[in-house]
Amino acid sequence: MTRRISKFKRFVMMNPIIQFFKFIYLSIKVLVIVAGGHGGTRNA
Amino acid sequence: MTKIVVLGAGIAGHVAASHLRRKLSREHEVVVVSPNGNYQWIPSNIWVGIGRMKPRDILFPLAPLYAKKHIDFKQAKAVSFHPEGDSQEIKPYILAEYVAGNENGTQEKVTYDYLINATGPKLNFEATEGLSPGKNKAHSVCTYTHAQEAWIALEGLIKQMKEGKKTRILIGTGHAKSTCQGAAFEYILNVEQELRRHKVRDMAEITWISNEYHLGDFGMDGMLLSYGSDIMKSKEMVEMIFEDRGIRWILGAGVHKVEDGVAHYETLDGEYKQESYDFAMLIPSFSGHGFKAYDKNGGDITDKLFKGFMIVDADYSPKPYEEWTVQDWPETYQNPSYANIFAPGIAFAPPHGISKPRKSKNGTDITPAPPRTGMPSGITAKLVADNIIGMIKNPNHDLHHKGSMGNMGAACIASAGFGMTKGSGISITTYPIVPDFKKYPDTHGRKLGKTFGTIGLAGHWLKLALHHAFLYKAKMKPFWWLIPE
Repeated sequence: MTRRISKFKRFVMMNPIIQFFKFIYLSIKVLVIVAGGHGGTRNA
Repeated sequence: MTKIVVLGAGIAGHVAASHLRRKLSREHEVVVVSPNGNYQWIPSNIWVGIGRMKPRDILFPLAPLYAKKHIDFKQAKAVSFHPEGDSQEIKPYILAEYVAGNENGTQEKVTYDYLINATGPKLNFEATEGLSPGKNKAHSVCTYTHAQEAWIALEGLIKQMKEGKKTRILIGTGHAKSTCQGAAFEYILNVEQELRRHKVRDMAEITWISNEYHLGDFGMDGMLLSYGSDIMKSKEMVEMIFEDRGIRWILGAGVHKVEDGVAHYETLDGEYKQESYDFAMLIPSFSGHGFKAYDKNGGDITDKLFKGFMIVDADYSPKPYEEWTVQDWPETYQNPSYANIFAPGIAFAPPHGISKPRKSKNGTDITPAPPRTGMPSGITAKLVADNIIGMIKNPNHDLHHKGSMGNMGAACIASAGFGMTKGSGISITTYPIVPDFKKYPDTHGRKLGKTFGTIGLAGHWLKLALHHAFLYKAKMKPFWWLIPE
């Protein structure tokens, strides 16, 4: 059974005020993951 | 004085050249050889393909920037590699042919001390019979010119729909081994939203066609990801989005032939089927450029440099899927035969796929090739530049800048519709890009939390912010280097 997007979730997804805070959160989270470093695997 | 030649001025080539120039004094020479006179921010091509951006919004000419920044630019294409020089030239060199300006058509031996091959992929349209941008009603968004042509065709179709014509739209992969499903995924969602904006959504049947076994594979074997307080597979997430948008899907499809408005494909069951359409956008397979390499005596040494793409410090020994490990993936992107040659970005030959390989009952490989676009391209290019700088400053440098795709995170901010209030984006991060099943055995090789997905308007804003930030960075404006790859 495929999941569906509920009316409430759609409201959250498209509400500019909620999404503004989500944008800040997402920007920081993506930055932390992406700029959080990288390295080799063979001597790990 | 050291001379570093960078082949290609896409994401990887431009990142490498700009970091080299910033960190090396003027006594060292940085030369970029690229047939393209413009830098293009490829992730925004999809917006050109729906008419919401113009090509000028996503590109800028390289020559004025490089002149200002003291980077030598040759608008030329590489013809052959000569890593040992030849009987007349003792230094290693690239034979390049100019493609523009007064020197158009002339060839030059471009010598180097270090070479960065960032030539990216060849868009291998020829691998699929009849697939060519703008031909047979099939289009591409792989370059801004392709995307512009796609929009002209789509705009025409929207007009027909407004006049009452029912249409069929097919978007996905145009070959059994294509990669870059993410671009096609973004495009199908953007097209769907544009049809709604033009109030003709009910006039079109939209179909996703892909060589993926599951939805949400993206050439990365799919993901198990955090989604709010839930944990779900990328398959479930993409299914949910397609169901929500009324998009049907065809999976495990190896498109092998395109005729006027008809795509022929083979399924994993070995059946041969066809899908008709009025407009298609099909991503071709990627291949190496078919470069040849010669030693100092003129002997063919192509096998030492290329395996389709360029050979680097990966483990290329053939092994079954069950024995693939993250350790197979390269860390420094250095060619094992010639220590002064590197290949970051898409130019390096991957050791194998990431998605589980599958064959049809007829023996045709129908599996997505591994993606190396966007962020991994930038990260690997920067670490190659840093290692070369280390080698210049200290000949005993141990190449300590490493970046395996098995120990690197990536963000895919996929646009799902354009608009400051009506737009949407699907933000997915994954860590690591290549799943490490030993480190994360219970979560399909990836770290939950660092591998997450979310849908909403914020994703569109983030993608738009990244568009502006990365163009600012590429133009090398003040403090550009503070923006990470």
